[in-house]
Amino acid sequence: MSTLPGLRRVEHVMGMPVVADLRDEDLGEDVLEEVFDWLRWVDATFSTYREDSEISRLNRGELGLAGARPEVREVLARCEELREETDGFFDARAASPDLLDPSGFVKGWAVDCAAAILEAAGARNYALSAGGDMRLRGRAAPAWCWRVGIQHPLLRDAVAKVIETRDLAVATSGAYARGPHVIDPHSRRPPSGILSVTVTGPDLGAADAYATAAFAMGGGRAPHWTARLRGYEALLVLADGRVLSTPGFPASSSAASPNVRPGTGVP
Amino acid sequence: MRRALTATVAAAALAVPAGNAAATALAQSKPKAKPKRRVVTVTKRVAGSEVYAGRWGPLRVTLVVKRITTIVGAHRTVKRTIVGLDVPVYPDHTDRSVFINQQALPLLEQEALQAHYSPNVDLISGATDTSMAFVESLQSALLKARSI
Repeated sequence: MSTLPGLRRVEHVMGMPVVADLRDEDLGEDVLEEVFDWLRWVDATFSTYREDSEISRLNRGELGLAGARPEVREVLARCEELREETDGFFDARAASPDLLDPSGFVKGWAVDCAAAILEAAGARNYALSAGGDMRLRGRAAPAWCWRVGIQHPLLRDAVAKVIETRDLAVATSGAYARGPHVIDPHSRRPPSGILSVTVTGPDLGAADAYATAAFAMGGGRAPHWTARLRGYEALLVLADGRVLSTPGFPASSSAASPNVRPGTGVP
Repeated sequence: MRRALTATVAAAALAVPAGNAAATALAQSKPKAKPKRRVVTVTKRVAGSEVYAGRWGPLRVTLVVKRITTIVGAHRTVKRTIVGLDVPVYPDHTDRSVFINQQALPLLEQEALQAHYSPNVDLISGATDTSMAFVESLQSALLKARSI
């Protein structure tokens, strides 16, 4: 098997591993520099862990919204729209009404912007993944689509489903071994009856926010809410072992025997 | 008819954010006969009937009404003022849903949770905070495997 074409890089940025996997033949390394420079800028501007980020300065009252960078205002405006769209279940103030934390949206948005950088450089076949949420474009190779495994919520070394896709954002929210992280902003308690939610669609920022919101809703409300999503598809793993998916959720042609790619013979 | 009327009343009340602003005074006054006065004030919560606002779900309005009765001899003056307005049952934007949900739920496809081990995948989608180490490890392994 020959080496795959393109460029690959994994870097720890924004507090998580970010993978850029470019499969186009003729791209220079500098496009990767541009992508990771952008992500580092996002981290410096939006991180709630950095004292000098604009978000931290906004939270301390040292900076007013009017004085913030246009990117910060754009992100906060989108967070507010998403809060309304999700009936308050996606909330940049979920942890505390006094503290802004748009990280739940920033990650996906930053990847969406990074994808635009790649597009401008001529990339048409790539995957960008930030801590398990990703944007896919084109094909992994001329003969096959991107194959994405959805983490099994109970078994660390297994996937619950494999999807094959092109040109799609995929975001998963869930609580696995280390316990719940997402809380229901209304009850301020971890959601119940649900193990994970995966949302797919054109925009990773929105897909991520929808997945977070649906997970926060819990097993009772999430199925109803996700069934009404427009332009986005969802897969829910409920605590009782049922897996619910919207009719347009991407399928895998060979989930039952996923170990061999057609035509490659490579394990 | 009564139902429709209640809906209209409820809508009118809702259109005004503060009940006080919509204060309704029902006053009957008669000329004073004697200087002896007695004032009785009673505040009551009045619930409207639950109105089904079409597919948007039920709605109920309650008002807090203050009744001031001024008694001068045989004459009494009653003045009622709305001092509060509450909407304990409202068409929850989400539960508009009751209607839509009942149609939407059968649209979801259902299967049992499965486990696939060592699937041939390019990436893994999982919750960032909890599966990060696993994702990172698997991811780097996948990248290495593909570059060999």
